[in-house]
Amino acid sequence: MQKLGDYKLPQFFNYPPYFTLQPVRDTREKQVQLWKEMIVDYCRTQKIFVIGLEDDFPLFSNPVIQRFLSHEAREVFLSALVSDGRAEWLDKGHRKCLILWHRIQDWAEIVLQFVKDNGLEDSVMTVEEIRSGIESRGTELHGVDRTVLMRALKLLENKGKLAIFKGTSADDEGVKFSV
Amino acid sequence: MRRRPGIGGLQTAAAARDQYRLLGENVAKLRTDLMKEQLATFRAQLEDFARKHKNDIRKNPAFRSQFHEMCAKVGVDPLASNKGFWAELLGIGDFYYEIGVQIVDICLATRPHNGGLINLQELCNLLRQRRKSDREAVSEDDCLRAISKLKVLGSGFEVISVGKKKLVRSVPTELNKDHNEILELAQAQGFVTVDEVEKQLVWTSGRAIDALDTLLEDGLAMIDDGHRDGKRRYWFPCVVHLSQYEFSLTYVET
Repeated sequence: MQKLGDYKLPQFFNYPPYFTLQPVRDTREKQVQLWKEMIVDYCRTQKIFVIGLEDDFPLFSNPVIQRFLSHEAREVFLSALVSDGRAEWLDKGHRKCLILWHRIQDWAEIVLQFVKDNGLEDSVMTVEEIRSGIESRGTELHGVDRTVLMRALKLLENKGKLAIFKGTSADDEGVKFSV
Repeated sequence: MRRRPGIGGLQTAAAARDQYRLLGENVAKLRTDLMKEQLATFRAQLEDFARKHKNDIRKNPAFRSQFHEMCAKVGVDPLASNKGFWAELLGIGDFYYEIGVQIVDICLATRPHNGGLINLQELCNLLRQRRKSDREAVSEDDCLRAISKLKVLGSGFEVISVGKKKLVRSVPTELNKDHNEILELAQAQGFVTVDEVEKQLVWTSGRAIDALDTLLEDGLAMIDDGHRDGKRRYWFPCVVHLSQYEFSLTYVET
């Protein structure tokens, strides 16, 4: 089984035609399905949050069979993920895509669990601490994309579970939990 | 017997012929009776054999295949009906029924990838993977038998030969001779180009493109425009195992 780092690549990745957008509808559907699943899976295991369409993203090419995805193909697959609610375009030009291998609601749940696990129900913490502090080590929150985290926190703020406030410096935003 | 001249002689000759004929008929009847008796004995022995080796028949594909051959020679079809002595004795009807259902399942699952045409070997591998926990091994012969039973139900399953390989068709799509020839050509590398088809099969460009487009529309082919030589390749998933792509250098083109 071919691997990319420690990620086990699915078999279709080594079949050249899957790198060309298929014209026949049923075949195309199958192709998009396979690529969507692989992209989300890979990003989850490698903790990748943003894919740049013009970047050297490892899944976009397979040197073993000398094939790579055209720009159009990349856009088609990522757009399909966006339609599924598993990704979002970060710019109008569709050059950068945020991959939500956990949906925002899921991240919100993870934050709540984190708060409970660490007894932070009435505490205050900076956003940076949530994603890189000692408590975050070993949890999914460690190293989480800041944009994603902010979205999850805003969701929880709307539910009244916390309050976001600006700190002393521009990037020192804090959170007061009231879980 | 001394030949006697005259009418007397003719009558004797006629009587002799009659007697020989009667004898001949008797001998023939005797032979047939003997044969019937032998056959009955053989069948009884076969049943005895089946009873004694029930487990081996169920567990060992090679043994099972030979058992089927023996039955065929004696005119016995263990799968003829799901009731009756054989099916009850061996429970073999259930075994093939089960395989049949699993085969239908696998064909449906792989249809989006291969258009409803799958290599028999690949089908068998997938079947074995699915039955991993089962103690009863499955052979290609078993697959073919299960499929032949499926055909009887009119489910549109058929085994076709393309070159040296056997493919299992699970869709009503009929393959005409042109399509068959392209599939055979594709067995060498797993794909063909329009040029190759024209050259190897000595067809006009129109005929080649027509056939390839139909195969594409039917979901039996996939296009590949990624080779650096810029030529479009038509790949046929049914012709090669997907498992062969596990880092196999065979598919890296130079």
